[in-house]
Amino acid sequence: MDSTDLQIIICGSAGDGTIAAGDILKRAMARAGYKVIAFDLYPAEIRGFGKCVARVRVTTEQVYSLKRRSDVLVSLDDSHAIEHVGEVRDFGAVIFENAPIARLGEGRHMSAHVKPGQIPYGLAQREVCERATSSSRSRNIVVLGFLAQMYGLPVAAFHEIIADKFKTKAAVVGESNIRAFDAGFEAAGAYFKLDDVTLGPPSHVAEGADTVMMTGNGAVVQGCLDAGIGTFFGYPITPATTIMERLAVEMPKAGARLLQTEDEISAIAATIGAGYAGSRAATATSGPGLALMVEMLGLGVMAEVPCVIFVSQRGGPSTGMPTKTEQSDLNLAVFGGAGDAQRIVLAPTNVEGCYRCAGKAFELAEKFQTPVVILLDLYLSNRYETVVFSKDNIFEPNCSKGVKTQDPGQAYQRFQLTDDFVSPRAVPGEAGGMHTVTGLEHNELGRPSDSAEMHTRMSAKRHRKLEGALAHPDLNICKRFGDEGPVDVGILAWGSTFGESLEAMMAAQAEGIRCSAMKVVMLSPLPVDPIAGFLADCKEVLVPELNYEGQLANLVSGQLGRPLSRLNRVTGAPMQVEEILEQVRALAKGRAAA
Amino acid sequence: MAKGTHHVIIGIGIAGNRAAEILRERDPDCRITMITMSRLPFYNRYDLPKVFRGVRDWREILVDPPAHYDKSHITLRRDSRVTNVDGQRGTLTFAHNEEIGFDRVVVCTGGSGYLPEDLTDYRHLMNGFATFESAMTVYELLPEGGRVVMLGGDMIGLDLARTLLETGYRVTLVVNDYTFWPHRVAADQRGKYLEALERLGIEVHAGAKLESVKEGPKGMPARCLVFEDGSEVFGDVVMPFCGLVPSVEFMLSSGVDIERGLLVNPQLRTTNERIWAAGDVCQIWSAEENAYRFYYGWNNVRAMGEVAARNMTGEDEPFVSIGDEELYLDKGGHIASPFWQHD
Repeated sequence: MDSTDLQIIICGSAGDGTIAAGDILKRAMARAGYKVIAFDLYPAEIRGFGKCVARVRVTTEQVYSLKRRSDVLVSLDDSHAIEHVGEVRDFGAVIFENAPIARLGEGRHMSAHVKPGQIPYGLAQREVCERATSSSRSRNIVVLGFLAQMYGLPVAAFHEIIADKFKTKAAVVGESNIRAFDAGFEAAGAYFKLDDVTLGPPSHVAEGADTVMMTGNGAVVQGCLDAGIGTFFGYPITPATTIMERLAVEMPKAGARLLQTEDEISAIAATIGAGYAGSRAATATSGPGLALMVEMLGLGVMAEVPCVIFVSQRGGPSTGMPTKTEQSDLNLAVFGGAGDAQRIVLAPTNVEGCYRCAGKAFELAEKFQTPVVILLDLYLSNRYETVVFSKDNIFEPNCSKGVKTQDPGQAYQRFQLTDDFVSPRAVPGEAGGMHTVTGLEHNELGRPSDSAEMHTRMSAKRHRKLEGALAHPDLNICKRFGDEGPVDVGILAWGSTFGESLEAMMAAQAEGIRCSAMKVVMLSPLPVDPIAGFLADCKEVLVPELNYEGQLANLVSGQLGRPLSRLNRVTGAPMQVEEILEQVRALAKGRAAA
Repeated sequence: MAKGTHHVIIGIGIAGNRAAEILRERDPDCRITMITMSRLPFYNRYDLPKVFRGVRDWREILVDPPAHYDKSHITLRRDSRVTNVDGQRGTLTFAHNEEIGFDRVVVCTGGSGYLPEDLTDYRHLMNGFATFESAMTVYELLPEGGRVVMLGGDMIGLDLARTLLETGYRVTLVVNDYTFWPHRVAADQRGKYLEALERLGIEVHAGAKLESVKEGPKGMPARCLVFEDGSEVFGDVVMPFCGLVPSVEFMLSSGVDIERGLLVNPQLRTTNERIWAAGDVCQIWSAEENAYRFYYGWNNVRAMGEVAARNMTGEDEPFVSIGDEELYLDKGGHIASPFWQHD
């Protein structure tokens, strides 16, 4: 079999090493040249209880989402994994502990739940691990060795990744984990493979530096660094924290500065201050943090200060579901705050997009002198994908519209009304650039003004200058995929949900349904013309979103006046391809019947 | 029956599967749990030789599709080994440390291949044929046209031998006391049956006692059998076929009477009123013979599963052996056995 499409779930309790095992698995497979997409679910609690799930999809062809049905389930803790056994397809495999220490009540063991069409592989994980390492701590690594033997996974890549993972610890730790892996590998030799799970050769050989595997948040960090971020202020919040954590390691190496502030309000205030001072400045937060930041965001809009705010959405409102994904902060990102405070909002749809949008956000902020919000969600922030990066830096180091030499005696007009509505920008200390800046409405000099005419003209300036963002180079503000011309069903999607939408579209096409999908990356200003063109081609339009009412659907129908079919889920989990496909089928059928 | 009575069937062979069918039929509301050490649902072991006829996907020898168990509301627990059955408490314990309760249990674990004492030192050089996995292992070990050396040659082995010969392999039979098991063939009758095997194409090695089994020298088949008279037989795979020994180890502390198999009355009930047995695992009281005895063959085993299930659900029927138990030569002079007959 040449083509590979293998999805493995590892499920355990917090502290079992579930996420670590998934991490090693995906890195090893990426190292061996496979395409990988992976996503972890973990509890809000740190350790001791709560379920962890690592899902890893390994393919040779490009895919855009996780599958609903997995091929293999590895249970490190049956009390959590049992509820996932139904996710394994027929003739797939379920691997579980068959020598637990504790006495189990009826039905508490995985063997009571494996479906008749699935293949059970009971493995004495703990015993195998103890024999190899004198401890049972590495049984998560034992199961990786077991998988490697059963499905021909690349052993050398696993050895390398395990050694990498433990290189900061005493050598004995890495060696012990390698032994655990090898013991699992050897143990699997006694098993006859009865499932029909297969792994073909990788489609390409990884070329080292260009092909990397990272999360959406990791890509954001890389984009920030490549775009020359100068300052970052942040306050930790799931699922955005890892952006700050990684930047804290990397920014000092590049001579840039990062400060953890006392709260989100301070973070955005400092970010705007740094942006005002001419630094490429950013902060990162989640929905609750953005709710605190919107007042200062308005200052950024009014004072026309470039800055970037990364927002990784989670289940809300309020503290909500910190470790579950959702797409319910679109309204807040686009409209949040007092007054007509239009800003640029971008929502990448995959990990590569996170990199591109992060870097481009600094260009846009500088060029259009405005805050730029990058809207991610937990699923995108935390999921891993293999990404091929260009060797060349694709970001412009300076997009600022500088101050022209002033005539002697002429006052500098920081908010000059120009043809493109973008004013010459001076940073503090720049010769001839002295000016007033305020959150009050102001005139071209920056001095407070409440005249009706000035407020009207300045409002128009702040809105219309952003129109240029729709034509910013090397940025797909929206893009259509699938069938060209008139189609039965179009899928309009944003953020992480677009991956599932694209796979649903391809599945629908395979069933003979004429179908297209459009991703909307720029949510503000909304690229109305291309979206209108797309809608005009679609007999039916479906908008799948991870929020309750359909915030993109409202945004688009509000601006284009066309009713749209909605598919909304607030389960805390990513949308399923099958759910979208089912709706597409229903819409296509309804149209055909009509 | 009381609603929700929990019937447990240990073993999912012919007897166990038939018992499940009857239990469901007679007690639609009961709970049925089937337990097996196998990783596969019920397949017909009589079909295992088909591996050599090109059937390499276990799904092709399943008796019922996997969906059957859900449709019949049967909980199928595979890869699960029972370590104890407590008939007094009505509980059984698994090797994985789980305990479950039952109202009635029927033991249908059959038997595993018997290995005589003088062959146990060579266990690592021999291959069994009790499961799909072991059949596939033999298939993978055998080169095209390769030779299987069968030690003993019970009727399970001889059935495989027929298939091997028909599919281009070669078979050597090393005759011992277990040849033709479970049939008891009188000494003066053995010759004609061995001749019939030779007519089939089996090389029969009789007379000399086996001294050892060892790995074959480089360039020769993988196994070498050395006999006391100094003769040697080479083969790619060595397979013992010396009858079955009932799988009853897990019942040793259950409190029921055991001789070689579980001792049951003609109604197939053990000495514990909650525990029944069916198939190759049990010895049934025969008033005629004034002894407990085994009954073999697909038809008998299936009938035992049926009788046990009927009696577990209120009947009081004795098991009656089905058909002749004698080995014979058919009109063409070919060896034939009721043991080989199955649906």
